[in-house]
Amino acid sequence: MEQIIVNGLILGMLYALIALGITLIFSIMNILNFAHGQMYMLGGFVVYYLYGVYHWNFFVALGMCILFLAVIGAFFEKFFFRRVLRVARREESSMLLAMGTALLLENIALISFGEKQRGVPPVVDGVIQILDAYVPVGRALLFFLAFVLIVALLLFVQYTKPGRAMRALAQDKEATYLQGVDINRISMLGFAIGASLAGVAGGLLASIFPVFSGSGTAISIKSFIMIIIGGAGVVSGAIVGGFVLGMTESVGYGLIPGSMTYLLIFCAVILLLALRPQGIMGKPWG
Amino acid sequence: MGQLKSLRTIVMFVFVVLYWVAFPLYFRNSNYHLGVVITASILSCISLGVWLTFSIGRINIGQGAFAAIGGYTTAILTMKLGASFWLCLPLSGIVSAFVGLLIGIPILRLKGVYFAMITLCMTEAVTLVFLNAEKLTQGASGIMNIPRPGALTIGTITIIPAYQAGHYLYFYYLAAFLLLLVLIGLWRLNVSRIGWIFRALRQSDTLALSIGINVVKYRLIAYGICCFIGGIGGSLFTVSMQNIFPTSFRVTDSMYFMLYCFLGGLDYLLGPVAGAFLLTGSFEALRVVQKYQEGIYACLMIALMLWLPNGILSLRFRKRALGKELKPEG
Amino acid sequence: MALLEVRDLTKHFGGLAAVDGLDFDVPEGEILALIGPNGAGKSTVFNLITSYLKPTRGTITFLGKNMTHLGMHEVARKGIVRTFQETNLFREMTSLQNVILAHHLRCRASDWGHFFYSRRARKDEAEFRESAGAILDYLGLSPYRDELVRNLPHGHQRALEVALGMATHPKLLLLDEPFTGMNPEETDTAIEMVKGIRNRGVTIILVEHDMRAVMGISDRIVVINFGKKIAEGKPKEIQHNEAVIEAYLGKEEDGET
Repeated sequence: MEQIIVNGLILGMLYALIALGITLIFSIMNILNFAHGQMYMLGGFVVYYLYGVYHWNFFVALGMCILFLAVIGAFFEKFFFRRVLRVARREESSMLLAMGTALLLENIALISFGEKQRGVPPVVDGVIQILDAYVPVGRALLFFLAFVLIVALLLFVQYTKPGRAMRALAQDKEATYLQGVDINRISMLGFAIGASLAGVAGGLLASIFPVFSGSGTAISIKSFIMIIIGGAGVVSGAIVGGFVLGMTESVGYGLIPGSMTYLLIFCAVILLLALRPQGIMGKPWG
Repeated sequence: MGQLKSLRTIVMFVFVVLYWVAFPLYFRNSNYHLGVVITASILSCISLGVWLTFSIGRINIGQGAFAAIGGYTTAILTMKLGASFWLCLPLSGIVSAFVGLLIGIPILRLKGVYFAMITLCMTEAVTLVFLNAEKLTQGASGIMNIPRPGALTIGTITIIPAYQAGHYLYFYYLAAFLLLLVLIGLWRLNVSRIGWIFRALRQSDTLALSIGINVVKYRLIAYGICCFIGGIGGSLFTVSMQNIFPTSFRVTDSMYFMLYCFLGGLDYLLGPVAGAFLLTGSFEALRVVQKYQEGIYACLMIALMLWLPNGILSLRFRKRALGKELKPEG
Repeated sequence: MALLEVRDLTKHFGGLAAVDGLDFDVPEGEILALIGPNGAGKSTVFNLITSYLKPTRGTITFLGKNMTHLGMHEVARKGIVRTFQETNLFREMTSLQNVILAHHLRCRASDWGHFFYSRRARKDEAEFRESAGAILDYLGLSPYRDELVRNLPHGHQRALEVALGMATHPKLLLLDEPFTGMNPEETDTAIEMVKGIRNRGVTIILVEHDMRAVMGISDRIVVINFGKKIAEGKPKEIQHNEAVIEAYLGKEEDGET
């Protein structure tokens, strides 16, 4: 039982990282990053090649991960979303655009990397024991790194100038603009950070889950589930959603055969939506 | 203005003749060419369901799920019970509609991204169901060798003859007919009071409620019809392909259905048809770039949003204000 | 038995009671005004009566039947319809289309009938079109029949809201600040129109800040402050009521004339 809980916590921390990324983008720009899963996937590939194939230092590889996805995120914001948000009359337009970016990234990955599944060995060897559970040191490291990143992000958003600008933007776009904040730059930064969070999660998880060009869709869907459970657009919701999903997955896979777990998760989510549409931490709307 | 109208009529007439007469006649022996148009017709049908949910103000990225449900229903009933296709077709629609209504009750009150997210998850969920229900669906291997439709007879009178091998035209006209029926049905819906209620729902739920409109009921009607259409589309698709797999309708396909609606223009009933035909046709023409299909669709989606956010048909037929007439556009 | 009976109506938002133990009756054929300083809870009362909000406590009885647990559209079906303070109209449709839609409750054809364009549906449509035209006429909106609502000036939009209300053939019509933004002449015309509606058999409750209009049109007035009823009676009585005067002087009210 402890094993399941420990696995759930580790997974939860990493999922929370992913959820935070998509939540950041959603709260600042009101855009659902359909490509979030693909960004995660690309992060995995960066680590696969730099660390797995070329044997760079793992942390450097992670850093490149962050950089690479930040550039992609910034690019998407500046050249795609900024224009569409300004020009389009319907809400669906930005959604369709986001879907387009997801397909684009997936296809580019498919062409560049093929369909083969790849993996990366754990960063550190060895196993430690906590009560009845065995935790590979590598995974404990991932847990720790994810924790550090999440804390860093929270501190950034709480105490730095651009971070506070992002929070302001999430609350009230007009007021933030009137205060002289460069909305375009903050949005770009926000998207970049959100994307790099997905990417670094992908890089971290490369040593646990297989890396392949089609892995994006499932992660995007998990991201959606997490923010539905936790409450979209709310940072605490992202973290809650991440841990709830991580634990549920761990418990589910431990007790029920295969993909039945996710089927049950879907049903539970629909039930949750019926009873509490704003998620656990979300603000009630309507 | 009158000139524009008669130009439109001429263009429509040309297309109708092309679709019903010229093309099938010319290509009657080419299964490949017929197949392209059959696929486009069926995809149009399914997308029209998505169009209907758009008309009540919901972004539906889950239609793939209902096409799959329809397809599997037909496949299972045909293979396991030997049921006639003519029975399975409407039944598949009904099963899809039923599932849709069940799920619709909790989720239809959601709007915007929230509704979109959950419909996307739904497609994935349905794929998982069909992947896992091995006893019923044979899991990943799918169901194959689905028999062709037999004759539809009442007593001794044959209304629709059985499929004869080699006469793929059969499916061509079947798909065309289905598309026509769906179009007529939706047009009628759109033009009637119910269509106006849908438009009202899209603009203000609260106001609709306060004048006595049972908003929940009408949303369910729209969504139920959407899922029904998805189901019968999936059913026909399955029978024309003679197989179905869990991967026949995936998340990406759900996204494509939305794309077809958008490409053609959400304000026009013929929008999804235009979008589906344009993309299916041009894609086949670029067969050599199969590997890049997703990428091309992706670039198209992006380009579309950047430069033509209101669809292709908006270029030609400027949408008149819903004011002047009660006639629908397209 | 009064047309509408409100008993102990209470609504809490978090810890705050927006409406607190409100009691009043509205007899049939009356024009009742609900007044009070800003934030007194008047719109909340409308929201509760029409079931836009559910009360924390209390009952709403209409024609002897308890309405408290019905949904919004069911309340409308029973005959209670309201207008909104912030204009709520179908902006992408014309005035005529808005009013035709509002006849929804008077449909005799079923949904299937409308789909197949049955004879009853055709009759409905024709009847509604005529009725809508007459209503627009009555409110002086005929010139704007075919104009999109979002192009209409604010004053006409408010009148159109009343048109929607009339189209439903309500028994009880709740008007939310119908005279806002009108000059004295317009107000007088509007008052006559509202009286005309009452004379057609519609009971009316209105929320309003324009005191002159309120005094001119109401049969009775209920005054609330902080969600509680502080006075009730004929206009003359209310004018000289100590508690009322204090309530208004206590808050710097700029709606008074």
